[in-house]
Amino acid sequence: MKFSVHQGRIKMTSTTRRHFLGGMGAIAASGLACPAFAQAKQKLVVIGGGAGGATVAKYVAKDGGVDVTLVEPAARYTTGFHSNLFLGGYKKWEAINHSYDQLTSKYGIKRVRQAAQAIDRDKRVVRLAGGGTLAYDRLLVAPGIDLKFDSVPGYSEAASERMPHAWKHGPQTQLLQRQLNAVNDGGVIVIIAPPNPYRCPPGPYERASMMAHVLKAKKHKKSRIIILDTKSAFSKQGLFMEGWQKHYPGMIEWQDPKVHGGIKSVDAKTMTVVTGLATYKAALVNVIPAQTAGKIALDAGLADQSGFCPINPENMKSTVDANIFIVGDASIAGDMPKSGFAANSQAKVAAMAIRSEIAGGRAFPARYSNTCWSLIETDDAVKVGGHYQPKEGKIAAVETFISKTGEPADLRKKTQEENIAWYTAFMADMLG
Amino acid sequence: MPKLGLKCLPLLMACGAIMGSVGPAVAQAEGDRALGEYLSSECVSCHKLTGPSDGIPSIVGRPAAHLITLLTAYRDKKRENPIMQMTASRLSDEEIAALAAYFASLKATAQGR
Repeated sequence: MKFSVHQGRIKMTSTTRRHFLGGMGAIAASGLACPAFAQAKQKLVVIGGGAGGATVAKYVAKDGGVDVTLVEPAARYTTGFHSNLFLGGYKKWEAINHSYDQLTSKYGIKRVRQAAQAIDRDKRVVRLAGGGTLAYDRLLVAPGIDLKFDSVPGYSEAASERMPHAWKHGPQTQLLQRQLNAVNDGGVIVIIAPPNPYRCPPGPYERASMMAHVLKAKKHKKSRIIILDTKSAFSKQGLFMEGWQKHYPGMIEWQDPKVHGGIKSVDAKTMTVVTGLATYKAALVNVIPAQTAGKIALDAGLADQSGFCPINPENMKSTVDANIFIVGDASIAGDMPKSGFAANSQAKVAAMAIRSEIAGGRAFPARYSNTCWSLIETDDAVKVGGHYQPKEGKIAAVETFISKTGEPADLRKKTQEENIAWYTAFMADMLG
Repeated sequence: MPKLGLKCLPLLMACGAIMGSVGPAVAQAEGDRALGEYLSSECVSCHKLTGPSDGIPSIVGRPAAHLITLLTAYRDKKRENPIMQMTASRLSDEEIAALAAYFASLKATAQGR
């Protein structure tokens, strides 16, 4: 049994000896809330190295004075944004994979290459998959989403090895691309699109566009892409429908539940999908199931009955635990979509709030923003965006915009150039 | 609460923040740098701080007056681009000044970031 020092009190925990020694300085600190009187740095632990978690880690660490640890098992960050450009052949695999090294070398952030297994909120420790623990003063929870495999009858994690979801990025994304490239002319591709709320609302439809781009480039005449949707409308619908008609006439068919009559089952062994309307024998089935906040957030009691985590819109703090902040896809961010851009925006508000609580930073009123580009065909990109502020207990849209149908080609080309430039700047903002 | 020299009074600042007495920043005539830095975090999601920029122009190292002119023109919808029009629309004159002062100040320090 070992001891660690926490908020001036000694607690028995299973922390390592190193933590114990490291915490000795804090014995001199009283239980005073004012951190400036403490001699040990306050500890921020960040769970999840995506757009939300990595941004919080960097923005809290860059001005110094806080001990920041990022818990993320992956060696590199594979971005969900622009993963469809990888699928479409516009970007190489390396171009959507990024090292975390600069977070350590430039900002002194400690990296723990393990999965966080559980949060002990009473003891303020994170338990790691490898058995160790990390004590925290503030905890940032950004696990992203988990997939509800059983939301699609017949689907499972095992089935995803033949029918990829490719909605958590890495090997699944590469599998989907290999399967796409192997489709012969005349093949049927089925995409099952998820119910709201889910990560990246325009993503399934940009994905269909990129698949069609690949098939068209291979001169396919008979291949078809059938989107079986669980909703009756989707993000940027008018823009995608216009683009599909223009670039891929007859190739992409979108069916809402009224048309397909419900998704009855999928079978990975026979590669079939059964709906109320028809049975499809497919060359490729991309099942994107319903989603919840990452399991660790659910297990820690941070989510409500929706499966996502309520937050205070002023600062992204959990409404159930004053020491915990939640950003990104796992949070209930009101009118904001679940996107990398939104997570990065929320992260900056959370970082400011965390620094104001434990490092004497100034706090300004929360402001949020989001922009999301989608590529329909080469040089034909569209965008949607919004500004958001706290209002009546939630993050509410102040102003939004969306590309218009019928825009001139040069504007669409500029929009794609903006999309490409955004990605570079965004990754530098997050990890550079 | 007196005006706070940001780096000079960390103890006072820290406790002030906890007591809630440091509210929304008071923008100063020449541009409040701390406010500018916070507001700038929105800009740098798209605008790179260093290196060449294609597709989205660089905003580092421009004179403050130039940035004020540009942001005001976007706010007045006299320049195109819905993202920039929207971004500028919620900025007050003081906030535009703070942002311009912040990005102008990066001229000397941008390399270190």
